Amino acid sequence: MDTVTLESVSKFFRHRPALWNWLGAERRGVTRALSRISLRAAEGDVLVILGPNGSGKTTLLKLVSTMLLPDEGRVLVCDADTADDARRARRSVGFAVASERSFFPRLTARENLDFFAALEQVSREERPATIQQALEASLLAEVGDTLVMKFSSGMYQRLGIARALLKRPAVLLLDEPTRSLDPGGTWRLWQLLRRTSELGTTILLATHNFEEAATIGQHVVVLRHGEVAAERRVGHQTSIEDLRSFYFREIEPEGAEVPGEVG
Amino acid sequence: MSGLLDRLSVILRRDILTALRYRAASGTYVAGMLAELAAFYYLARAVGPGFRPDGVDYFPFLLLGTGLYGFFVAGVASFVNSIHEAQLTGTMEVLMTTSTPEPELVFLTAASAFFTRTLHLAFYLVVGVVVFRVELAHPNIAGALAVFVLSMAIAVAAGIAIAAVQVALQRGAGMVWLLGSLLWLLTGATFPVSALPSPLRQVGELIPITHSLDGLRLALLHDADWGTLARPLAVLAVYTLVLLPLSVWLFGRALRYARREGSLSYY
Repeated sequence: MDTVTLESVSKFFRHRPALWNWLGAERRGVTRALSRISLRAAEGDVLVILGPNGSGKTTLLKLVSTMLLPDEGRVLVCDADTADDARRARRSVGFAVASERSFFPRLTARENLDFFAALEQVSREERPATIQQALEASLLAEVGDTLVMKFSSGMYQRLGIARALLKRPAVLLLDEPTRSLDPGGTWRLWQLLRRTSELGTTILLATHNFEEAATIGQHVVVLRHGEVAAERRVGHQTSIEDLRSFYFREIEPEGAEVPGEVG
Repeated sequence: MSGLLDRLSVILRRDILTALRYRAASGTYVAGMLAELAAFYYLARAVGPGFRPDGVDYFPFLLLGTGLYGFFVAGVASFVNSIHEAQLTGTMEVLMTTSTPEPELVFLTAASAFFTRTLHLAFYLVVGVVVFRVELAHPNIAGALAVFVLSMAIAVAAGIAIAAVQVALQRGAGMVWLLGSLLWLLTGATFPVSALPSPLRQVGELIPITHSLDGLRLALLHDADWGTLARPLAVLAVYTLVLLPLSVWLFGRALRYARREGSLSYY
């Protein structure tokens, strides 16, 4: 069964300049962020989304999370349409957003997680154990009682993942999850994501990291100017170089040099 | 129901912990409040004992007027500010995609903001009575509480409606300022509405806080019985029944607009 389905989804962003636009020069018109995207991800799949900046990766994740509504097409999460039945869709989705500071700075990590767990309707009895597990899984157990305003970027990022895991979601969305992590933290996160997908959670992961894509991905989609430029399966035998060549063949204009292939 | 109370308790806990951990803030607040009350006290003395708005001394009139005005405007401002901060930090998007329905979440957040302001108002009135010796002969406390509860529901509705403007247009602060100025002018917070020209008095009658002030002064300063309080209570109840669902609906529309426009985290 497909857990996430995008059916010919388009998303536009309208630019609405100020009334006194002659004083500055704000752009007008519409940006087409995603154009007729169709994708499917089944239970336990790890779908990696690659693409240059501005290609629509985060927009795609936000559409699945219900932060955004599609302008055309349908997004289904566990059969719930995000436009008509967002509440049911939301119950199945955990999103580790790219914004590192999306926490309450004067609460500790544990207090933040307790707050969000309550809103995710994790019962009061279950919360302490669930939060402890999430803190341990994200390697934050030792700093659980530290105010998050004292956290580094990497710690914020791990806390974001802990928050996304609180409700044991059917779909986990990750936006550049290892961007600020050290190599040890990155490796442990990949282990965690592998275990999570083996338990049946569908993972959609936007990244620029080929090693990450090759290590934990099962399916790779390359976005370019809001369209699916290419997709392929990946497995244990897929090397980072294979993936890099595949990506640049799709993204760079014909004949351009593939970065990383020197000489 | 227990789930709802659980969520209300975590929101309250977040707000109280955040307030307490800004260590200097409560001291600053107490000093500011004492200075404000002292200013009103000496203003009333300067005006003299001959000025008795609605048949009561001017300082008690001011104490209740400015106390409720502050509760209403500062409560709305702090709620709208919490929405603005959520937009700035990125928590807005996360909050609006949790499993808690958005109308419930926004209502609980507003209720928490006004609960904190209720504590401030209670402290303000106690200081007025104890430090500045305002005499309350036989106040109708139950009646005053009934007026206050309805006034709080209306304040929550106003907060949610302005938060909707903040979500859709990112300029709720301007609305708070406009609201504050209009209430200051039209509701009888600092001077009796009878001083206003007739057209402005009629506009003031349409504002629910005019009736809140009226009811609160009747209950606490005129020792009014339930029969006398029936009119302001009935007016406030009607406003509550209309404004509360309307504001939640408006917030839902604003959220949908922001999700469509991609502006949920704009600020």
